Amino acid sequence: MTTTARPTVETIIETAQEEAERTRDRIRKGVEILLARNEPPVGVTPKEVIYQRGTLKLYHYRPMSDEVYRVPVVFVMSLVSKPWILDLTFGQSFIQYMLAQGFDVFMIDWGVPRPEDKRLRFEDYVTDLMPDCFEHVQKATGEEEYSILGYCMGGLFGLMYAGTYPDAPLKNLACAATPVDMEGMGLFRKWQNPRYFDVDRLVDSLGNIPPEMMLRSFELLRPMDRWGGYLRLIDNLWNEQFVYGFRIMYKWTNEQIPFPGETYRQFTKDLMWENKLMKGTYTLDGRRVDTSAIKIPVLHAMAEHDHIAPYAATKPLTDIVGSEDKEDIVVKGGHVSLVAGKNAMFRLWPKVADWLAQRSV
Amino acid sequence: MAAQNGTSSQNASADMMDMWRTWLNETERQLNSFFGEVLGQESFARVSANYVDAYSVIQRALNQSMERYLTTFNLPTHSDITELGERLSNIEERLASMENVIRTIAANAGVEVGGTVTQMRPRRTRKPRAQTKATE
Repeated sequence: MTTTARPTVETIIETAQEEAERTRDRIRKGVEILLARNEPPVGVTPKEVIYQRGTLKLYHYRPMSDEVYRVPVVFVMSLVSKPWILDLTFGQSFIQYMLAQGFDVFMIDWGVPRPEDKRLRFEDYVTDLMPDCFEHVQKATGEEEYSILGYCMGGLFGLMYAGTYPDAPLKNLACAATPVDMEGMGLFRKWQNPRYFDVDRLVDSLGNIPPEMMLRSFELLRPMDRWGGYLRLIDNLWNEQFVYGFRIMYKWTNEQIPFPGETYRQFTKDLMWENKLMKGTYTLDGRRVDTSAIKIPVLHAMAEHDHIAPYAATKPLTDIVGSEDKEDIVVKGGHVSLVAGKNAMFRLWPKVADWLAQRSV
Repeated sequence: MAAQNGTSSQNASADMMDMWRTWLNETERQLNSFFGEVLGQESFARVSANYVDAYSVIQRALNQSMERYLTTFNLPTHSDITELGERLSNIEERLASMENVIRTIAANAGVEVGGTVTQMRPRRTRKPRAQTKATE
C-alpha cells in the first residue's frame, strides 16, 4: 500500500518560483506577439530572381554544393498562399533541405494577384507562364530536362502541364497534397453547391476573390482550430521554440492572398462541379489535359488527416496517370504539416529527396 | 523524503496540466466534428451562398457609387488605377523581353552580363548514394 507524499514548504516555494519564471516569460512573449515585435525571419534561403513577369517571379536558389544532380527541380507553388511555407526558416526549410541533398532548385512564385490579374485563367498559368519559366530554367542550367515538385494547387498545375504536354522534357512529377477528385473535397464541395452558389455573380462583382473570404472559408473547415491554437499558445508561452513555430505558422496563415477571379470561376465550374480533370475531359486552350498520357515517374505525397485537400480527393492522382513508375506516400498529419515543420523534416522530405535523386541523374 | 515530496507535487501539477491538455484536444476534436456536421448541411450551403450573393451585390453597388463620386470630384477611380496597373505590367513585360534580347545578344557576343547564381555552374554529375556505392 502506498501513501501519497505531502509537498513540503521547500517544494511549494520551488514550484512557485518555477511558475513565476514561466509567467514572466509568458508575459514577455505575449507582449512581443501582441506588438508583432521580433518577427521570425521567413523565406531566407539565398536566391535570385532569374525571371519576372507581372507578379510572377522565378527564383533560382543558390546551390549548396559544387556537384548537383543533373536534372533541376522546379517547385511550383499554389495560388492560394505565399510560397515561403516551403522555405520556412533556418533548419526548417524544404528548399534548404533539397539544396543540401544536392539538388539545383528553382521556384515559381505566382506572387500576389493585382486587380488586373482577375482575368488570369488556368490556360495562362499552364500553357503560357509555366512553359516560359521552364525555358528560363533550361537556359540557366543548360539542361533540357527538369522535374516539377508542386504543392497543393501547384501540384494540380504540374499535373495539368504534364497532361497537356506529354512530350515536354519533364523528367519527374512530384506532387504534395494535390486534389484531383473533387467529389472528395468535403465541405468545400458542399458549400459550392451549384443550386445555391452563384460563382458568376461573385467573380463578376468582386474580380479577384478577397483574401478575407479565402481565409474565413479555410477557417470554417475546422472552426475550433484557431481557438485551440490560442489556448495552446498561452499554455506554452514560456517555451521559446513553441512560440517561434506558432508565430511563423500564424504569419503564414494570416498572410492570405487574393485568388484570381477567372481561375476561381474555372476551378468551381470545371473542376468542382463537373470534375473534368478526373473524368479526363478537361481542356486548356483547346488541348485536352490527358493525364493518362503522362508516362514519366510520378510521386504523390498525401496527408492522412488533410482537411483542406482531403485524402479522398488526393488519393486517385496516381490512378489517373499512365505512368508505370508511380508511387504514393501517405503520412500522418495535415495539409501544412505534410510539407512544413518538424514532422515533414523526418517523414516527407527524405522520401521525396531519395525518390527524386534516383531519377535525376 | 523532501525530494520524494517535491517529485510527487511536480507530478501532480504535471498530471493536472496533462489532463487539461487532453481535455483541450478532445473538446477541440469534438467541437470541430460537431461544426463539421452542422456546416456540411445543405441548409448551411444555402445560407452561405445567400450571404455571398448579398455581399457581392452590396460590394458591386458600393463600387459603382464610389466610382460615380470619385468621377464627379475628378479623382482617380479603382478602374483607373487598375488600368494604370495593366499599362505598367505591359511596360514591365516589354522591358523584360528587351532585357532578354540584350542578354542573348551579349551572350552570343561572349560578353558576361552580371554575376548571377546561374553563372555559378556546379557540376551536374551527382549520383544517389546507392548508385555511388554500386559503381565503387
